Amino acid sequence: MSFTLFPARRLILACVFGLGGAAAQAENWPGDYWTSQLAAPSAALSELERYAFPTRDDATRQGVRTDALLVIRDGQVVYERYAAPTTADTAHLTWSMAKSLLATTMGVAYGEGRFRLDAPVADYYPPFAAHPQVKVGHLLNWASGLDWQEDYEYAPLKSSVVAMLYTRGRSDMAAFTAAHSADAEPGARFRYSSGDSNVLAAALKNMVGAEAYADYPWTALFDPLGIKTAVWERDAAGTFVGSSYAYMSARDLARVGLLMQRDGRWGEQQLLPKAWVEFNRTPFANYQPQAEKPGDAVPGGQWWLNVAVAGAGKPWPDAPSNMLVASGHWGQGLYVLPDEQLVIVRYADDRDASFDRNHFLKLVLAAMATEVQP
Amino acid sequence: MIRRRPFSTVLLLIVLLLAALIWQNRTHMQAFPDIIGAYSAKEYCSCRYVANNPADYCEAYVAQYVPLSGFWDDAAHKRVTARGLGRTHSAQWLSLRQGCQLLPEPAALPKP
Repeated sequence: MSFTLFPARRLILACVFGLGGAAAQAENWPGDYWTSQLAAPSAALSELERYAFPTRDDATRQGVRTDALLVIRDGQVVYERYAAPTTADTAHLTWSMAKSLLATTMGVAYGEGRFRLDAPVADYYPPFAAHPQVKVGHLLNWASGLDWQEDYEYAPLKSSVVAMLYTRGRSDMAAFTAAHSADAEPGARFRYSSGDSNVLAAALKNMVGAEAYADYPWTALFDPLGIKTAVWERDAAGTFVGSSYAYMSARDLARVGLLMQRDGRWGEQQLLPKAWVEFNRTPFANYQPQAEKPGDAVPGGQWWLNVAVAGAGKPWPDAPSNMLVASGHWGQGLYVLPDEQLVIVRYADDRDASFDRNHFLKLVLAAMATEVQP
Repeated sequence: MIRRRPFSTVLLLIVLLLAALIWQNRTHMQAFPDIIGAYSAKEYCSCRYVANNPADYCEAYVAQYVPLSGFWDDAAHKRVTARGLGRTHSAQWLSLRQGCQLLPEPAALPKP
């Protein structure tokens, strides 16, 4: 195999060109499979395991219920554990992490010049003629200004998202969203909305063309990254349920994390424009943190951020401020920490609020900090 | 009238208020009973045929406080039908990439 042919020469080159050269040479990328450099057992790792994988009670469904925990450092698996029936091969539901996957798919389309952030949504999705002032960028920031109610389980009667997924909206989720009235100026306020995400998924159809659309997430993103387990369900109108219904294995989701960790570059290829990743990482300008909800993540471009804005502290004080997060219902999480070169995937079935993301991240960081690179 | 029939008056006011609330929320109220059947059919279908989890796990996975009055996992067609609060819904697995989708019309539940 080519990379083992001249180990001595590589070593000499690394010495000649110094540390920077060595780092570039040693950059790890998954091929068909991830390579592993498993973290050695430690007290910190045991503490993380005790927290993430307590004895599971499937009768009451109480407490922290991790289905999968995968940690990648510098492009290699350093920790991996699953709870039955989830395995390394399970295409697990991502719930709202799908929104960040949709944004990443759209990033490729953006690089192909298929749309502009400041173009009206109606240019790509005609039913949005009812909301002519709403731009693509507004939807990506969840700032359409539409009167949307995101509550899931606690207000099922009036929940827009429950109606969209299961009843009145299910045949055409984007049209269901477009039929909502506005109650704020577009771009004026953040209001988390699965409807905004599904309008983006519908707009993508005209951006890339109806023919390419059905396979676009695969041709644009999943195939180049070597993702083989992805499933993306659609509504009856053929629109990807960009808000909620993407599935893949933890190892495959970590590939998206590594792509984001390395600013949209996959190997030699700049798959996402750097400006796109920069947009994903930029807090929505008019975001106002709510004092009563200090742990709420800061919205970027369909990704979540850990930055301190408008006088509030970081949502997760023990995690770095440049962490990028995809987040989903029942504890799903993809955490990208560029400085630490870490990608963390957590799949879960947390049915109550006992899981504490900040504490979890603190434990992962502690467990990974003790490990010394060989 | 309030002095002569205080209880009837208050009762009448409550009934009127309720009627107004129901009228105001009529679209929500009409769709509400559909949630449990549709949720159960769709999420069971995906749990079973997309994530490939075992049947008994998926049954527990979709269980809610509202019980189902009918359920059928038609494994031959990868079609799942659930009935709750008097409404029946079906979801069907379509393909490897597309996973499951709720059907416009529910399949018939087998006779008990």
